[in-house]
Amino acid sequence: MDPIQAEIYSTVLTAAPYVIAAYALMWLVLLIYIIFGSRSLKKTEQQLAALEEAVAQREDRP
Amino acid sequence: MLSKAHIFDKLALPLLVVGGVLVTVAFVLAFTVAPLVSGEAVSSGFLEIDGHFITNKLLLSQKIFYFHMPVAVVSMAALLFTAIYSILFLKTRESSYDLRARLATEVSLVFVLMTMVSGELWERYEWGVWWTWEPRLTTYFILMLLVVGYFIVRNAVSDPERRAVYSSVLGIIIFIDVPICFMVTRLIPSSVHPVIFRTDSGLPPPMLIPLLMALVGFGCIAFALYRQRLRAEQLRERVEALKIKLDEATDPGRE
Repeated sequence: MDPIQAEIYSTVLTAAPYVIAAYALMWLVLLIYIIFGSRSLKKTEQQLAALEEAVAQREDRP
Repeated sequence: MLSKAHIFDKLALPLLVVGGVLVTVAFVLAFTVAPLVSGEAVSSGFLEIDGHFITNKLLLSQKIFYFHMPVAVVSMAALLFTAIYSILFLKTRESSYDLRARLATEVSLVFVLMTMVSGELWERYEWGVWWTWEPRLTTYFILMLLVVGYFIVRNAVSDPERRAVYSSVLGIIIFIDVPICFMVTRLIPSSVHPVIFRTDSGLPPPMLIPLLMALVGFGCIAFALYRQRLRAEQLRERVEALKIKLDEATDPGRE
């Protein structure tokens, strides 16, 4: 490889792990929160449906 | 007729998708269209690439900036909503405002963590240290501690009314650090954190476009996540009300 070219690109390969790690960790933090939010919403929706059914059954009872 | 809340809830998922697409396109553009920025000069000679004479080392580490800056701005914008809802709570004492302030702070914390993680990795590579007391870093670190402190206060106070008042006051105090954090690079110029929001940012379109796309994209994602969390919390309140109703129906003598 041409020595000038090697010097120009000398920081690219060494920086790559840090750049990859930065993007990966940012996505990871966001993904964890998205999953937490979705699971929390789904769980609450299921609980609400079950409770509404229980209340409806109780009200229907003579 | 659909209420405003209902429209926002309906918009949450499309906005999450739009945000995801914008951020992904910004990511691709940042690594394909945006040029590498120049670092220190090479010891001798130059290289000709596409008719341009390259005389400096090219820095890949700067690519972190395309997400780092937008997530930092979104974290601060979320804190603006924390302050607004905190003021509204203190004025009206309506618990729904306290809930909204808490969720805005929660979303902000996620983006604060993203900002810190990306900034730390850039700093570790460029400066060889994990931390330094640079003005923007210091003010943003204080911001992060205040946001974490907000949740510590919330968990420490058991009385809902007092908890809401304390955290509302803290929510307003946190926001005071936002303009300080934003303006610090103007007051104490730093080569690390350039002033981007000005009439001429100095960024050419191939760099500015992915940056703005990421900014809008993360803004959409933050709003969608906030609405999703708000819906979950509102449903949880309904679940609690139904549980009480069921308990009363089972045991009518119980208070």
